[in-house]
Amino acid sequence: MDLNINILGNVEGTKQILKLTGEIDAYTAPKLKEALLPLVKKDGELVIVDLENVSYMDSTGLGVFISALKATKEHNSELRLVSLQDRVERLFEITGLNSIINIDSTVQGGN
Amino acid sequence: MELNKFDFNNYRDLLDRYILKQDESALYQAEQFTKLSMQNNILPEEFINIHIQALKELYPDLPKEICASLNFLLETMISYGLAYQEFQTLREKQGELESEISVAASMQQTLLSTTKPEISGLDIGAISVPANRMNGDYHHFVKDESNNLGIAIADVIGKGIPAALAMSMIKYALDSFPESQLSPSVILENLNRVVERNVDTNMFITMFYGFFDSKNSVLQYASAGHEPGFYYCAKEDKFIEIKAKGLVLGVTPDAIYEQFELKLEKDDIVILLTDGVTECRIGERFIESEEVLHVIRQYIHLPAQEAVEKVFKYFERIQDFHLRDDFTLIFLKKEV
Amino acid sequence: MKAQSSVQINKEWDIVGARQMGREKAKELGFGSVDQARIATAISELARNIYLYAQRGRIHVEVINDLNKKGLKIIAQDEGPGIADISKVMEDGYSTSGGLGAGLPGVKRLMDEFDILSDKEKGTTISAIKWVRS
Repeated sequence: MDLNINILGNVEGTKQILKLTGEIDAYTAPKLKEALLPLVKKDGELVIVDLENVSYMDSTGLGVFISALKATKEHNSELRLVSLQDRVERLFEITGLNSIINIDSTVQGGN
Repeated sequence: MELNKFDFNNYRDLLDRYILKQDESALYQAEQFTKLSMQNNILPEEFINIHIQALKELYPDLPKEICASLNFLLETMISYGLAYQEFQTLREKQGELESEISVAASMQQTLLSTTKPEISGLDIGAISVPANRMNGDYHHFVKDESNNLGIAIADVIGKGIPAALAMSMIKYALDSFPESQLSPSVILENLNRVVERNVDTNMFITMFYGFFDSKNSVLQYASAGHEPGFYYCAKEDKFIEIKAKGLVLGVTPDAIYEQFELKLEKDDIVILLTDGVTECRIGERFIESEEVLHVIRQYIHLPAQEAVEKVFKYFERIQDFHLRDDFTLIFLKKEV
Repeated sequence: MKAQSSVQINKEWDIVGARQMGREKAKELGFGSVDQARIATAISELARNIYLYAQRGRIHVEVINDLNKKGLKIIAQDEGPGIADISKVMEDGYSTSGGLGAGLPGVKRLMDEFDILSDKEKGTTISAIKWVRS
């Protein structure tokens, strides 16, 4: 299974929306990392990752989001995850990462 | 590299026999000839050349168009020959890597091995099987003089060699803590600092740590983002998820781990596992936790070691004997 | 027989000219049809490398007449960017073009002797020899 990354660029000046479709695992995580890290490394940027169409994510995917979170601290940017499917959200809950990453499952991402 | 005259004549005669009679046995012998050629590293273009020479001997007046077409074939085969040689070299290299990994895997087994202790009143079963050669799951038992049991179960993000290397670090950090009774929350807090300082930013480890107090039959535990296990309550014949919220190891230096307690009665079971069990896929579908418990329930009456092995066998089979993730399952069964 | 000839590589079609030159020399020297094809393919790869990475360069073909053996030496010379990591480009499975090219390991296999000299900014000289089988 593949992962599609759609960057809906700079909607309001300092906002980037990443719409992901597919599965995030050891094979697709590098691709996500390549797309996500440069965005969170821009000072002051708000990066919203829309996970509505991500049906599966494993711990490698969590690793990418942890790296991104660490980068936001260095660059004063912000990372927000929206519209998580139950299975993916459970992963953030179990690992306690929902307490340090801004997650909003109720928000409709993308616009 | 070269075929000798004898082999060449042999090929020519087979070709002749086939052209005249379309003889199946000639084809069979040609097949043996191909195998011999491969053993002698005869390249595709050389093979074509043998064919051309044989044909010219058999039919000296071959039309020049046919000759040209065969030369054309020979030229185009050069690249296939190169690809074939490259493939051979890569295969040899792969063999070398394989054996290197074997050595690493057996070294890991030695480094991370743990022996299941005998704790009176507690029947312990444990199984840990890697998806590939190196195991990214880890479990460890320690027994103190008062018949108490310390138990760790952990999972490193990802699989394979990086995971295995990180695990060795965890093991040695655990070993370096003082033997005196440490509470699970303190152990996890200490480990978290070690991991945070020593691993890459996108790497992390989940761990459940439990301490079984034999005298009072109480399990103290804390979890660093580890896949929740289950508590089987015999009296009510019910499975209850062991909830223990805590952040995975290695993300922030100052994580705090809450500690919980569970009193075990006769025939109660504590079931600890990694996500290789719960994230198991059947075809395109993920297994639900009710299904996991349904399987476990079938075997809980068995001795703990037999039970974990039976559960593993079941999951191995439904995944067509091809694990997607490292699989670790531990049963702690209260006997009296 | 002229001992040395050379072809300038500026455009893709020059590769064909270089092949042709190599093949004719190989035939004159008495190489069999398989080795002729190998020499032409090796020249092709070398000329293509020049065309792709250095834009311009030369392919020389030289007859070697030792006491007891005869051979053909190909020299590919360019003043391109040079090869930073030679051991990397000589590795199997590595191809800078990302395509199916046989690359330099392929050239090495097709020929009997092979050597590279490369300097950053100064360019690359690759020489390869094929001996006539006795």
